[in-house]
Amino acid sequence: MYDTIGIWVGAFFTLAIYSFLYKENPVYRLAEHLVVGISLGYTMVLIYNSVILPKLLEPIFAGNHLILIIPGLLGLLYITRFIPSIAWLSRYPIAFIMGTAMGVAFPLTMKAYVLRQLEAAMVPLYSSGMPWYEVFGNIVMIFGTLAALIYFFFSKPHKGLFFGTGSKIGIWVIMLGFGATFGFTVMGRISLLIGRIQYLLGDWLHLIE
Amino acid sequence: MSAVNIWEKMLNVDRRWIFLGIGIVSIVPFLIGFGMPITTTIEVEGIFDYVDELGPDDAIFIGFDFAPGTQAENMPMAVAVMRHAFHNRIPVFMTAYVPLGKGMAVAALDYVTNPKTDGYYERVLFEDWADYREAGITNKEELTAAWESDGNVLSEGAAGWVFEGRDYVLLGYLPLFHLVILGMTGSIETQFPVDYHNNPIGGMPILMEHKSLREVDLALTTSGSAACTAWITYAREKIGLPIAFGVTGVMATDYFPYIQSGQIVGQMGGLRGAAEYEVLLKENGITRTTGKAFRGMDVQSAAHIFIILLIIMGNIAFFAGGFHKKTRLKGRR
Repeated sequence: MYDTIGIWVGAFFTLAIYSFLYKENPVYRLAEHLVVGISLGYTMVLIYNSVILPKLLEPIFAGNHLILIIPGLLGLLYITRFIPSIAWLSRYPIAFIMGTAMGVAFPLTMKAYVLRQLEAAMVPLYSSGMPWYEVFGNIVMIFGTLAALIYFFFSKPHKGLFFGTGSKIGIWVIMLGFGATFGFTVMGRISLLIGRIQYLLGDWLHLIE
Repeated sequence: MSAVNIWEKMLNVDRRWIFLGIGIVSIVPFLIGFGMPITTTIEVEGIFDYVDELGPDDAIFIGFDFAPGTQAENMPMAVAVMRHAFHNRIPVFMTAYVPLGKGMAVAALDYVTNPKTDGYYERVLFEDWADYREAGITNKEELTAAWESDGNVLSEGAAGWVFEGRDYVLLGYLPLFHLVILGMTGSIETQFPVDYHNNPIGGMPILMEHKSLREVDLALTTSGSAACTAWITYAREKIGLPIAFGVTGVMATDYFPYIQSGQIVGQMGGLRGAAEYEVLLKENGITRTTGKAFRGMDVQSAAHIFIILLIIMGNIAFFAGGFHKKTRLKGRR
C-alpha cells in the first residue's frame, strides 16, 4: 500500500519536473521547491541523528567526554554569522577547519594529483619489444601533454615554432579532450532520462520489467 | 519561401520539438527492445577481474557516494559489484560519502535481496542469527550449513544467503567523509561504532576479520561528484588500498588518467560502464540475466543516433545557409 503511494508520488513529481520542458509552471515550481526543502530537511535530521546526538550530546550529558564541549562551542561560533556585531567570531571555526584540512590534505593531495601524474607521464617513448600502438600512444600522450601546457603558458607570445605551433597543437589536444567530455556528458544526461523512463514505464505503469 | 529561410527555420526550431523527439526515441526502444550487443572494455574488465579473484577471506568497500540525482547511472554499478561480491562470498562494507547516499545504499541492498529480483540473495538480519554467533559459528560455510540444518530453506530462485554482519554491513554516512576514510585506515570501529541498524559492529565477524582499511582488498566508489577522488587521496596514497571508480558519464573522462597512472584498478563510466559489468556477470555465469543498465543501452544508442542526426542537420543548415559568414543569426538565436 505504502509502496504504491510512494510510486505514484514519485511518478507525479517526475512528470512535474519534466513539465518544465514545455514551459515553466506552478507544478514544476512546487516540485523544485520540495526537492530542495526535503533534501535539506533530510540532511539536517540525518546529521543530528548520526553526528550531533551520538557523537556530541550523548557523550557530554553522560559526563565522560566533557572535552567535547570545546569543539561543540567552536561549531556554535558559526552561528555568529547572523549577528553582525560578533560575526568575526565565525572566522575561528573556519580557520580551524581550513588549517587542519590543509595540513591533512596537502601532502597526500600533492602525491595523488601531481607526483603520481608526473610519474605516469614520464614513460619511455620506445623500448625493445614494445608494440607499435603503445609507442604511438606514448608519443601522443607526451607531446599532447607538452602542447597543452604550452597553450597555457602566457609569459611568452604564442609565436614561432615552439610557442606558436606548440600552442596550436595544444588547442587541438584540448578540443579533443572537450569532445570526449561532451560525448560522455550526452551519455550521462540521456542515462538520467533513461532512469526516469524505467521508473515511469516499469515501476509505475508496469509496461516493462 | 527562400532557401535561406528554410535553413534559418531549421536553426531556430522550437527546442520543445527536440525534447519531444528525444522523449519518443527514449521510450520506443524500451517497448520494442532491440537487444543491441555490448562489448566490454579493459577499464571495466579490470574491476571485474580484480573482484573475481577475491574470496571469502577478503573484503571490499562499496561507497555509495552519490545522491538520487545520479542514481540512474551509479546504482546499477553498485548493484552489479554487490551481486558479484555476494556470489563470490566476499564480505562487503557499505558507506556513503554524501547524506543521501545512505538511502541509496539501503535501496541497493533492498534490490539485491528482493525476491522479485532475478537471482536475489536471501537476507538474514544480524539479530536473527545471534544464537549461532554465541555458539561460535561465524564461518560462512559452517554458518550456512547450521542455518539450513535448523529448517531454514532457501527459497526457489534465490542465489544464496547473505548474513548481516558476516557477508555485509551497512555503515552509513558521516560528515567530512574524507576524514572518516583517513580514520578508517587505523580502525573502522572508531569511525562507525554502530551500523545503520544501531548494531554494535565490534561483535560482527566481518569487522573482527577486517578491522581497518589496511585489511580490506578493494574500495569501489560509485560517485556522482569529485567525492571519489577522496578515496585515492586518503586511502590509496596513504595505505595503498586498491581503488575502483564507478562514475557518471559526465565525469568519466576526468578520471582516465588515474587508470593510466595505476592509481585505480579500473573505471565504470556512466550507464555504459554498468552495462558492461552486467554483461561480464552474465557471461561468467554469475547472474542469469543482465540488469537495468543493459536494458537502458538500447535507448542510449537510439538517443545518440538522434542527437548525431540533429548535430549533422544543424551544421548543414548553418553552413548551407551561409551563417558562418554572419556575426549573428536572426530570430531568437
